[in-house]
Order: sequence, then C-alpha cells, then structure tokens
Amino acid sequence: MSFGAVDAKADAMQPAAAHSPQPAPSKRLVWAMPLIPALLFLTIFFIYPVADLLLLSFTNKSGAFDLEQYRAVYSSKVYIDVLLITLKIALMIVAFCLILGYPVAYLLANAAPKTRARLVIWVLMPFWTSFLVRAFAWMILLGNNGPITKAVNIFGPEPPIKLIYNLTGVMIGTVQALLPLAILVMMAAMQNIDANLTRAASTMGARGGQAFWRIYFPLSFPGVAAAGLLTFITAMGFFITPALLGGPRETMIAQIILVQVQELLNWRFAGALSLLLLALSFVVFLLYDRATGLSSQAQSTQPGRVQRPPGRLAATWSASLLAILGWLGSASDAAMKALEAVFPRRNDRPGRRGPGLLQIAVGMVLVFLVAPALIVVPVSFTSGSFIAFPPVGFSLRWYETYLGSPVWVAATLVSFLVALVTGLLATILGGAAAFVFIRHEFFGKRMLVALFIAPLVIPRIIIAVAMFYLFAKLGLIGSLWGLIIGHTVLALPFVVVTVMSVLKSYDERYDHAALTLGATPLRTLRHVTLPLIKPAIIAAFLFSFVTSFDELTVALFISAGTVTTLPKMMWSDLILQMNPTLAAVSAVILIIATVIVLAAEAIKRRASYE
Amino acid sequence: MSCLVSPPTRRAFLAAAGGVGSLAAFPISTGWAQTNQRLTVADAGGEITRANETTLYEPFRKESGIAVTVIAREHEPISQVKALVESKSFIWDVVALTAQQAMTLDAEGLLDPLDWNDPHMNELIPAAKAPNWMAHSTYAAVMGYRKDKYGANGPQSWADFWNVQKFPGRRSLRKSPIETLEMALMADGVPIDKIYPIDMDRAFASLDKIKKHIHVWWTGGAQSTQLLQSGEVDMIPIWSARLQTIIDAGAPAVTVWNQGIYAADGWGIPKGTPRAPAARRMIQYFARPDRQAARATLLGNGPSNLKAFDNIPADRAKLLPTFPDNLNKMLANDDGWWFKNREKAIERFNAWLIS
Repeated sequence: MSFGAVDAKADAMQPAAAHSPQPAPSKRLVWAMPLIPALLFLTIFFIYPVADLLLLSFTNKSGAFDLEQYRAVYSSKVYIDVLLITLKIALMIVAFCLILGYPVAYLLANAAPKTRARLVIWVLMPFWTSFLVRAFAWMILLGNNGPITKAVNIFGPEPPIKLIYNLTGVMIGTVQALLPLAILVMMAAMQNIDANLTRAASTMGARGGQAFWRIYFPLSFPGVAAAGLLTFITAMGFFITPALLGGPRETMIAQIILVQVQELLNWRFAGALSLLLLALSFVVFLLYDRATGLSSQAQSTQPGRVQRPPGRLAATWSASLLAILGWLGSASDAAMKALEAVFPRRNDRPGRRGPGLLQIAVGMVLVFLVAPALIVVPVSFTSGSFIAFPPVGFSLRWYETYLGSPVWVAATLVSFLVALVTGLLATILGGAAAFVFIRHEFFGKRMLVALFIAPLVIPRIIIAVAMFYLFAKLGLIGSLWGLIIGHTVLALPFVVVTVMSVLKSYDERYDHAALTLGATPLRTLRHVTLPLIKPAIIAAFLFSFVTSFDELTVALFISAGTVTTLPKMMWSDLILQMNPTLAAVSAVILIIATVIVLAAEAIKRRASYE
Repeated sequence: MSCLVSPPTRRAFLAAAGGVGSLAAFPISTGWAQTNQRLTVADAGGEITRANETTLYEPFRKESGIAVTVIAREHEPISQVKALVESKSFIWDVVALTAQQAMTLDAEGLLDPLDWNDPHMNELIPAAKAPNWMAHSTYAAVMGYRKDKYGANGPQSWADFWNVQKFPGRRSLRKSPIETLEMALMADGVPIDKIYPIDMDRAFASLDKIKKHIHVWWTGGAQSTQLLQSGEVDMIPIWSARLQTIIDAGAPAVTVWNQGIYAADGWGIPKGTPRAPAARRMIQYFARPDRQAARATLLGNGPSNLKAFDNIPADRAKLLPTFPDNLNKMLANDDGWWFKNREKAIERFNAWLIS
C-alpha cells in the first residue's frame, strides 16, 4: 500500500548510488558497511547451523537425496490442516492486536510526555511476567471458579459464554502477550508524525474523521504495517499459550514440530515441517511487503529524485485505497454526528465527546493488559501452597523462598545481565542494518529483510538444536556469551522491523541540512537522526531485552544446565505444580522493572530541564 | 530411613579401578584423576532434584568420593542427548530418562551400556530393566477426582469416567495418545491383559463417545494438578505423585488406583562420555533398596526395587504405585508397543483432535 506516488517496484529499479547525496565513485559500497556486522552475525550463528539441520529433510536415513519426508507430510491431511489453523489463529491475533492497540498507541503518542510515561508503564506490564505465569493467571481468571465467571454466574447457573479452553481463551492469552509489542511499534511511528499536518487539514475544512483517515492514518501506516508483521510472525510460532488456554482444535504447527524434534527424534520430518512453515511465512511476508511497502525506501522526502509514474495496477490500487479512506472518513464523521444527535455536546466543554470515548476504550485495553498482574501480585502473598484466587491468608513465605535462595537470586542476576547485553548487541547490529534497508535500494533486499525476520519464524527448538552443534565446536556451550549470541539472533527481527518502520517516515532532509551545515555523517547520526528516532530505538532495545529475559528453549540447550537463567529456574520449579514462588518472582520482577522505567523517565526529565 | 552413609564396598572400589582402566580409550585433556572424580547428572529439576539430592546424590558423594554436579534438563531431553553425543561435548554423564526416551536413544546407538553385574540391579521389577537403561522409580497415570463433588461414591474405573449420566461433571483428558488410548479401551470394556496390541480403531471409537464432554485437554503436568486442585475439572487422569502433592497440601481429591497405568523412570549414559565408568557405578547405586526407600518417602514415586518396601512406613507405602495392592490393579505400560507405533498414533490422534 504505497500512499505516495511511487510504488515499491519502481523504487527497486533505482540504482543504489543515486540515493546518496554525494555519491563518491571510489566509495561505492561504503553505504552497505553498516549491514555487514549484522549479516555476518546472522550468517554464522543462524543461517549456517539452521540450514544444516533443515536440509536434513531432503535426505533419507542413508543420507542420500530423497523427498520421502515431504511425501509423508502430504500423505496425511493433518499437517496442512494444522498449518492452516496456525495461519488462521495468527491472523486473528494480528487483527485484534492492531484494532485494540491502535487507539492506545494514538493516545500515548499524542499525550503530554508526563502522561505518556505514566501510561507506558501499564502497557509494559505484560512484559515483566513470565509467559508461563501469565497463562496460569488466565486459567484462574477465566476458569470456572474464577472471579470473571463467578460474576457472570450471578445471572445464571451456567456461564453463558465459555471464556477458556477454546479459541476465545487463546485469543485472550495471546493478544494480551503481543499487544505491548504492537502498541510500542505503532507509538514509535506515530511520535514522528507532524501534528501540524492534521491541524492543517482541519483548518482547510476537513472534519475530524476525514482529517484522521486521510491524513493521520496514512502517515501512521508504516507503524501499523510493522506492528502487524511482528505480531504475525511471533504468533505463527506460538504454542505454549494456545496449548494451555485452547481447546482441541487450537493445535499450532510449532507444537507438532516440537514433538517431532523432542519426543520422536524425527529431525528430518521436523525439518520438512519447518521449511513448509518458513515457506508459508515467506509468501505471506512478500505479499504483505508488496502491499504495505514496509521494506521499500522512504519515498516522499527524497530530494532530487526522478519519480517514476506509478504502474497502472499500482495507480488503481492507490486510487481505490484513497477512496476507501475517504469513505471511512465520511463514515466516521457521520457516526460522530449521529452520536452527537443522541448525546448533545455540552457547550461549556467543546470537543469533549471524542476524547472521552477514546479514553474509555484505551482504559479498557489497559485493564486487559494488567489483568494477569492484578492476579499474580495478591497470589504471591498467600500463606497456602497453591495459586488460587482469592488467595488464602497472608504471608511473605514465598518471598522468603525466592529472595532467600542464592540460586534464585543468581538466576535473576544472570537473566538481567544476559538480557541487557543482548538488548545492546541486537539494537546496535539490527539498527545499523535497518538504516541500510530503508535508505538504499539494492538487488535482493527483500530476501535479506526476510532473512533477518526468519529467526522468528523457525521454531525455537530447531534453532536451539542447530546452535548446539555449532556452539559445541566453538566451545560456547554453557557460557554466558553463548546465551547472549543465541538470544541476539532471536531479538534481531524485532529491532530491524521496529527501526525500519520509523526510519521509513523519517524526514531525511534533517540529515541533509546537518550535512550541508558541515556536520560529519557520524555527528549527524548522533545529534540529529538518533535523537529523532529515539522512541524506536528504545522500543527495539526493550523488545530485545524482553525476548532474552523470557526465553527458555535456547537457554535450556545452550546453557546446558550450567548457567541458570530465571525462566529456567521457574520452569524447573514448575515440575510438580504451579506454586506461589513463581508469583512472588513475577511480582518482584514487576516492581524492579517498573522502578527502572520510572527512574529512567525521571532522569530524562531532569536532564531536559537543565 | 536406614543408614545414610555406608562404607565404601569392595564392589565400588573395583568399579572405580575398572573405570581408570577403561579411560585409556578416551583421549581427553583434563587428566584421568579429575575426570574420574567428577560426574554431571541431568534430572528433571525442582522437587525431584531436591529429593534426589538428599536421598541419592549426597549419600553417593560421601560413599564414592565422586563430585556430583546436578543440573535440570528439558522434560524431553533426548534431542539434547543426541546433540551432545554427536558433537562430543559431554556436559552430562548421567541423564534421567523414561523407558520410551531410552528406547528412542538406544535405537540410534546413543546410549552407553550399563554394568548389570550388580545384585541390587537384578532385584528390580521387569519394567525397570533394559540393556542400556535402568529405572530407580515408578510412576502411574491414575484417575483423580474431587471428593467435594462425588463424596463417597466417586468414579472407580474408566467406564465410570466415560459415563456422563451417572457421573455428571467436568472432565479433562491428556492431549496425547499415550495412556489415553489405553484408558479409552478400558472404558470400552477391554480387560487389562488384552489392551496390547492396541486396537486403534476401537480406541478412537471409544474416544469419539467422550470427546464432546471433555472440558479441557491438558498438556503439562503442572496444568493437570492446577485443573484438579482449583476445581476447574471434577475428574482427570493424572500422575499419582503430582496428585499426592496436592492431596498433601489439602486439596479435596481422591486417587483411584484401579486401572491406572504404570511405567518406570530411570537413567542412561550418553554414549562415549569419558566418565562412563563412574556413571555406571552411580546408576548401580540408585538400585539399592535403602536409597529407593528413602526417596519414596519424599516423593510420591514408587521404588523399582520392591525390597525397598521393607523400609517404607506402611501409611506411606500405600500411596506408591508399586505398593503391591496398587500394582495389582494397574496396567503396565507396554513401552515396546509404543516405541513401534507412537508416530502413527500421534499423527492419528492429532488429526482426530482437530477434526
């Protein structure tokens, strides 16, 4: 969906060198330099080992070329069916994340910095409770004896709607997990939108609906596209939450692959299924990229470029999109008018109605986001030995179990350290790569972008097994660096897509102005570009941090039990039953993380006063 | 619990000496003395590690002088065993494995042989013995139900579980064909000694009858306990040790041993580890009745050496799968049948679930 005049295909034909402001013939390939470290990193630690494992799927037991695994996939309908179920669930998750996330991102992006800082803390809540703890919190909240069902039961003996162990349960659990991601990516893009543009539209007579759909929405679109892509790819790999909260039909392909790898030791078949998953995701990515123009270069702000006229198909596409947006604008305006007729606007507070609705909607989403945490914190103070709500009695025994154990505390510190280094490494490598992707056109770019997203598509168990063989050769098994490298591979997709989405709407003329005024490229980056795209950089760092902090599979393989991370401790504590120690751990992490976010905000504010 | 620390035996000494001899086959840089005195054990973690630590590892350290490091492994550790054997990075020397897992690894030649020249190892129940695997513990999938729902007249068999008229209430089954197919056959009236080889058509026909009455399909052990303990479901097939944990903690639940399915948990040695001799010695140690008795008083898993019951208090003994009164009512899981048929069974089960 190219809203500008140029479609992505026309862009791809532009020679790369033409885009640099001052192309120096001798430095033809210098522009690609920032991509090299990330590309090398990914090739060595991801592509090489994983390809090695996946290619097994083309061999038979004696190692000769054979398509028997693929024949096995097609001989049973179940694998294709599960793949389609996975696709359906992932698309539904994306739709809910975008629809619920957009108003929140909009409100946050347009709020005063202080309000934003306060609200972001709530959005981040789901990040700080382990996915396992969250799933159990939902089991309590939505279960038969949970507070929500009990409230519904006042009106009848049986709950009229089953909220869990079906598709509804899967949606509730997964959307809550992915919403923060969608909100932060969209918010980062929206913070770059010049508020004067919407204001100008209003001045020129556009009503609220028209101004939003025809001006603001198209400008925010790169963020929506990126959020959609990240949530889609992540959702395709989900299986633990769907397995815990879903019904018999909510079987995800990652679950099937996991069983093939771990229980049946059938790596060739798992490789075949993974390649099918990869192929399906790749096709979706290409279609998506073509439709959204996510990986194509930022267009409207390129100076001195010959803009090709759009092809006929693209022109029709753009025209119909504009028509749809215009129609949406009129529709919203009409709806607002109808609403005003029913609930007349109070004269003393003009314009009160619109924001009121938005704030109520956002408030509801925020309650949804923090609901599991609202269960986890009280449960952690129980004196009983079960996770139950309302909790029985009051005691600090689970905090004593956690904080009094050197093993638990050490695991917490290791996780913070690994997540911190992973966050920094992934942000630097991925951020630099994103710059090259957005600022230059070159042959095979789309393939490369897809490659950077692939670590999210390939099931983690496959990555973990593949990395083990490589890391064993490199002596990285059981080392902190092994863990950091593994987690960085997993975090790179989040960084690349997030930074790309913001750079896409970044006005490069700021950079050109600085360069013209004599700043070196590095100074321009440091004093102009980076400060302007800071929300995206922070979001990218946060995603990387959380990816590492909550990661289990790769940690289990690479650490080989010698380096213990927090998710690993929590997981092994869960062997016999879900006990309140995990709730106490989650509550402590929640508090630490929130304090850090608050402190960072306070420091920033103080710095800006000086 | 009898003596926690027994003096080093002549057998143990010989095993250690044998270990030194066979080390020559493995060129390693760390030196024989050090390698022979150090073992890394990978077990299931959490409660299980804590119980193993006091009843198995620590007494073994004291008796043998071998330093034992314990780490928690994946629930399904065989892919990692394969990876570490093939890449020759022997981070684990002794791995906790179920019979199924051991068979899968053995089929690819990934396990080292054990030393069966040991009196206690030969006292074990048949389900605990395989050439390259030995079980020290037994577990059972039994039916658990809520006492507050059914009082004294709860379901007593899988036929009762399938009988939704006589026993109304919410039910859960495991989202796996393993154990579930056997339960379906028992519900359909197949006697315990005629379960294997499993008649899949009959089993799935039986499952068809109960499918729409299943409130939750559980996938993890911690989930199964949560479901019964919270009252989310009224009856569920569940591992007996986990069920006992929540009963001990006050949940109003009852264990039905009748038509339970038992299997064994044991140990294997990754093929080629330079510390195999010490590893063999450790596994032999796990067969001792006094050690198994001590462990069974901490965990709800039964001993595989029935002599252990001499040292287990009577009120504790009756909570264990291998307690003779319980064992007699149960079906022994046929690991051999499952090893041959599970791929097909899993595929059919998945297709049946989503249909």
